[in-house]
Amino acid sequence: MFRKIAAIAATGVMALGLAACGSSGSDSASSSAKSAAPASAGASQGGTIAVITVDLANSYWQAEANTAKAEIEKAGFQATVNAHGADPDKQNQLIDTAISNKVKAIILDPAGADESVAAVQKATDAGIPVLLVNAEISKQGIAKSQIISNNAQGATIGAEAWVKAMDGKGKYVELFGNPTDNNAKVRSDGYAAVISAYPDLKKVGQETANWDRAQGKDKMEGLLAAHPDITGVIAGNDEMALGAIEALTDAKKINKVKVLGFDGNADAVEAVRAGTMVATVLQPIVQGTTNAVAQAVEYLKSGKTGVADEKQSIDCVLITKDNVDKYKAPFVMDK
Amino acid sequence: MSELSQAAVKATAPRALRKINTRALMIEGRALLALLLIVVVFSLLSPNFLSADNLIVMTRHVAMNAILAIGMLLVILNGGIDLSVGSIVGLSGVIAGMLLEGLKLNSLDLFVYPAVWVVIVVSLGVGTLAGWVNGVVVTRLKVAPFIATLGMLYVARGIALLITNGTPFSKLNGQAGLGNTGFLTFLKSSPLGLPMPVWAMILFAVVFAVVLSKSPFGRWLYATGGNERAAELSGVPVKKVKTRIYVLSGLCAAAVGLLLTADLSSATPAAGEFFELNAIAAVVIGGAALSGGRGTIRGTLIGAFVIGFLVDGLVLVGVSQFWQQIIKGAVIIIAVALDQLQQTLQKRRSAKAALSPPKPSERMTAPV
Repeated sequence: MFRKIAAIAATGVMALGLAACGSSGSDSASSSAKSAAPASAGASQGGTIAVITVDLANSYWQAEANTAKAEIEKAGFQATVNAHGADPDKQNQLIDTAISNKVKAIILDPAGADESVAAVQKATDAGIPVLLVNAEISKQGIAKSQIISNNAQGATIGAEAWVKAMDGKGKYVELFGNPTDNNAKVRSDGYAAVISAYPDLKKVGQETANWDRAQGKDKMEGLLAAHPDITGVIAGNDEMALGAIEALTDAKKINKVKVLGFDGNADAVEAVRAGTMVATVLQPIVQGTTNAVAQAVEYLKSGKTGVADEKQSIDCVLITKDNVDKYKAPFVMDK
Repeated sequence: MSELSQAAVKATAPRALRKINTRALMIEGRALLALLLIVVVFSLLSPNFLSADNLIVMTRHVAMNAILAIGMLLVILNGGIDLSVGSIVGLSGVIAGMLLEGLKLNSLDLFVYPAVWVVIVVSLGVGTLAGWVNGVVVTRLKVAPFIATLGMLYVARGIALLITNGTPFSKLNGQAGLGNTGFLTFLKSSPLGLPMPVWAMILFAVVFAVVLSKSPFGRWLYATGGNERAAELSGVPVKKVKTRIYVLSGLCAAAVGLLLTADLSSATPAAGEFFELNAIAAVVIGGAALSGGRGTIRGTLIGAFVIGFLVDGLVLVGVSQFWQQIIKGAVIIIAVALDQLQQTLQKRRSAKAALSPPKPSERMTAPV
């Protein structure tokens, strides 16, 4: 008797839970369809474009996802947004599901250059165009577009501004990004190419802080203990630079040390405004994502992206105290 | 004495098994209902959910977690836990990738290209070895399973990162001239329309279901999980059983590592992160008790299907990423909470029954 009651109660609760989540899902789907319908004549073609990004809890990828969603809906399609958390297996599953869902196109920020090739190939084989944004894969001719920020150019302009602030001399340390991410090396090499022209700038230490603010602070504290006389820090991204700034502030050395960041996220821009960061380099992620969606829509219309090259790189923009007021929205600079 | 205790085990085991089976049926019945419900709700919300292609795709996703969960079930039946399986997935995949790209022998300045079957055997062997180390640390050094396997989680991941230096191996095709082709084509093939991971899941499930229900090892495992001291006193080789389950869990993880590497066409050191948590979730949704002694392969499989179909279904329907996590967590908690409720009801009833004529033997075998 009790068994039956328990079993029935169990089913009831699960049914409620599922019905609740199910209905919320269908509600949002139908409401987005409604709101999209009058937006443009393109609504008649309809369909869904899947957006797969890296981490929705990070402002950089939020900007990417929000831009993609807004642009897709503006073009008269529906958007689904998911994140793979840099896990190629999760990415694989999301691609599989997008194929099952018969989406019209996929906007993907890939999880690793080598690891993502098979997943992109799979979608392409299923007749779904894949457009990559923010990062590239190690094979060409599969994705319709690969739109990336010009990291080498960004590192060059960042390093030039930092060298100027350093007056071309002094001891410095470097915080390196996640070694499995190609951009970590590209940016580090870009910095080194500029700095090598100044023999009075001496690198006394380098640590890997995996793009992370907390690790950036920890590693910076270690570096400060070993080299208390440094006057400069170059970091592969803003989060690590912000961690370094925390450590330098705690050690009351922030006024003597020049910090360089990369990405142009809102916190870093505030640090530039406050004078604790010398410069950061804005990654044109909003521009790149907008281009990717536009090319996807064009491809669905005409079978071509309308751009000659699969690989497209967009130049980064330097942010210093001089132009910081032009930063109006996350990752957007006024011209 | 030993003969006597053997006989005692033989006499009590079938009865314990029968009990477990009736209870398991009820638990599975509930998990099965949840699975049916998921299928019905999602097929109403998305026309693509029930398509043959999607069912195969979802089952392929389920398969990897299910294989890990089968290994995890063995450990959990014993009252242990294996947190290292995700890292072993990464490590064995990396070993396979390294061997396929060619192993450099520094002393001879020579590259060695082992045949594919050697690659598979060595990778499985490395995973099994990691599991064996877990087992030895737990049984001989008396480190709690949670801690021992937590340590292995870091060690195995670290070794994988060390071997790759952070960069994945992605030339897994092999070269015909070297005789090491076929890894990808074999593991990515779909005999009779079912992908290789699904076949692997079926193989593991059938073999371990038979082992658990028919072999002495299976009976020992349930006995040690129910009451380790009692099992030891009645002559069950407790340490041997314990070591063996971690070895088998490592083997399951290594198999998933190979399948995942083929699936991604690249061996990345980060593969398998957090897989252990999904495997544990599948086992508990399938009705196993973390305290040990209770759980079945069938239940675990259903648990893996519940998790896999739920996750894929939510993506398919377009539920927001953050809600997906909340719903997944809620389902795990509800499943286990209902399980506890049922346990309480059962205990109350057996307590009532015990008021009249006491049955000490039954109370001894009752699971905690």
